[in-house]
Amino acid sequence: MTDKTIGAPVTQSKWNSVFKKLLTRLEPTLWVFASLSIFVGLWEFAWWWGWANPLLLPPPHIFLANLTDQFRFFDPGGTRAGALATGGSIFSVLGVIAWSSFRVTAGLVLGFTLSLAIGIGIRYFKVFGKLMLPLVTMLAPISPVAWLPVAVFIFGIGNPPAIFLVFIAIFFIMTLATLSQIDNVPAHYIQLARIMGCNKRQIYRHVILPAILPELFVTLRMNLFAAWMVVLIAEAVGVGSGLGQVTMMARNTFNASLVFFTMTLIGITGFAFDQALRYVQRKVLWWVGPSSVGGL
Amino acid sequence: MTLGLKITNVSKTWNPDGPEPVPAVRNLTLDVELGEFVVLLGPSGCGKSSLLYIVAGLEDATEGSVTFDGLEVAEPSPERSLIFQEAALYPWLTVRDNITFGLKIAGQSPKKQEESAERLLRLVGLVGAGDKRPHELSGGMRQRAALARALAMEPKVLLMDEPFAALDIQTRARMQGHLLNIWESSKASVLLVTHSIEEALALADRVVVFTARPGQIKAEIPISAPRPRDMRSPEMIDLAIQCEALLAEEVEKSFKEQEQELA
Repeated sequence: MTDKTIGAPVTQSKWNSVFKKLLTRLEPTLWVFASLSIFVGLWEFAWWWGWANPLLLPPPHIFLANLTDQFRFFDPGGTRAGALATGGSIFSVLGVIAWSSFRVTAGLVLGFTLSLAIGIGIRYFKVFGKLMLPLVTMLAPISPVAWLPVAVFIFGIGNPPAIFLVFIAIFFIMTLATLSQIDNVPAHYIQLARIMGCNKRQIYRHVILPAILPELFVTLRMNLFAAWMVVLIAEAVGVGSGLGQVTMMARNTFNASLVFFTMTLIGITGFAFDQALRYVQRKVLWWVGPSSVGGL
Repeated sequence: MTLGLKITNVSKTWNPDGPEPVPAVRNLTLDVELGEFVVLLGPSGCGKSSLLYIVAGLEDATEGSVTFDGLEVAEPSPERSLIFQEAALYPWLTVRDNITFGLKIAGQSPKKQEESAERLLRLVGLVGAGDKRPHELSGGMRQRAALARALAMEPKVLLMDEPFAALDIQTRARMQGHLLNIWESSKASVLLVTHSIEEALALADRVVVFTARPGQIKAEIPISAPRPRDMRSPEMIDLAIQCEALLAEEVEKSFKEQEQELA
């Protein structure tokens, strides 16, 4: 498609096209802002109209007003409920976010690699598969929250139980997803590999693994949010630091502003995580067409 | 020792122990000589493809035997390469890496692989497309890449399962010409399945007409006319009418059977 505006001055059409390009590049961001604005607008309106009690549902312009005041509650090392932390700068806030992010990332990496290994193992080794599959299917529906006491019994307080919970939150689902992906590899792919002389190990290494990775990555992205939810619970109960701990403390001290401020941070961080995973997906799995990456 | 492909009294039943076994091929005997181009022509679902899978070694025959160059066919092998209706190129590999996939598995040196890739890309008319990804190619180009991948293994027989059925008519004609050139230079035998009479007559040394399911051989029609063949010559028109009559009977039969199954 060529843009033929007959008679139009060249410079103008050039500017037009630059403007159009800019617009198409910015469009997704603009939609993000529009979507947020509606939500914030309704909330602020509710406050202005007197529906929302500013003590219980403080609108953004209140809970984002006094940032330094909020920052005081963030301490990467963790604090006891109610006590003011030694924090108070933007760095302490970033520190808290970094700790939560680290726990999520560690859990995701562990969960993804192990579920892939176990899933492939179940299909590769028949006996192993028959022994593992019932176990995986039975453990899969148990909520990660139910694992929380187990995590604390085994690992005590600290990073390990939080990482373990994130791991549990995605491991079983990802294992089952791996199995269904393996079963859905086009038969022709495998038949061709056999004709070209691949043995079983080579078929798994050179055909099945690359064939299932793209979809598994999508599944991982969808479970990213579950991982974030779980890490907050773990932090609130079993870790003593991180965004979850701040939320819990805010709850205990009836600090609604802090609750919403922390929720905002969680939302933004989760969004950034999704974007980051998307980026990794595009770079590492280059053969997946842009259509199947989907979304924003 | 007999060279070439020998199919002797082969029967294939799908789901033989199930409640409704499906006989696909019954008591079929067919030889394909070295360098011969044989086309299997028959109505859809008559077991032609099943026969190809058995010859490829991907499926076992329920009865009978298949030998190739005197050896029993039990396993798939690069010397009996199969080409599907869709190219089934690996989307995570470039066209070049798809073509050299089998060579890499066989442990050939990267330099040799590179040489083979260039030679084959030239042979199938895909020079310059080596670094492209399969989804960037048109259907015809993909099928040519699949052909190059099969040829890389220097097969003794090319098994082709309706290879051009998904292409538009113009691309199809070009691809048929292409295939003939490659076949003549490679000296491999070809066993090609199609339901298109025109395709069968344009390509084959011998057309083998199948009956409706379970597939049996209804007629064998040798064609000696030199290629490229003019489909409008009286000889070809005669053959086409003959094939059409043979096929029409079988299509009629399979329709009646389906109606009875439904009734």
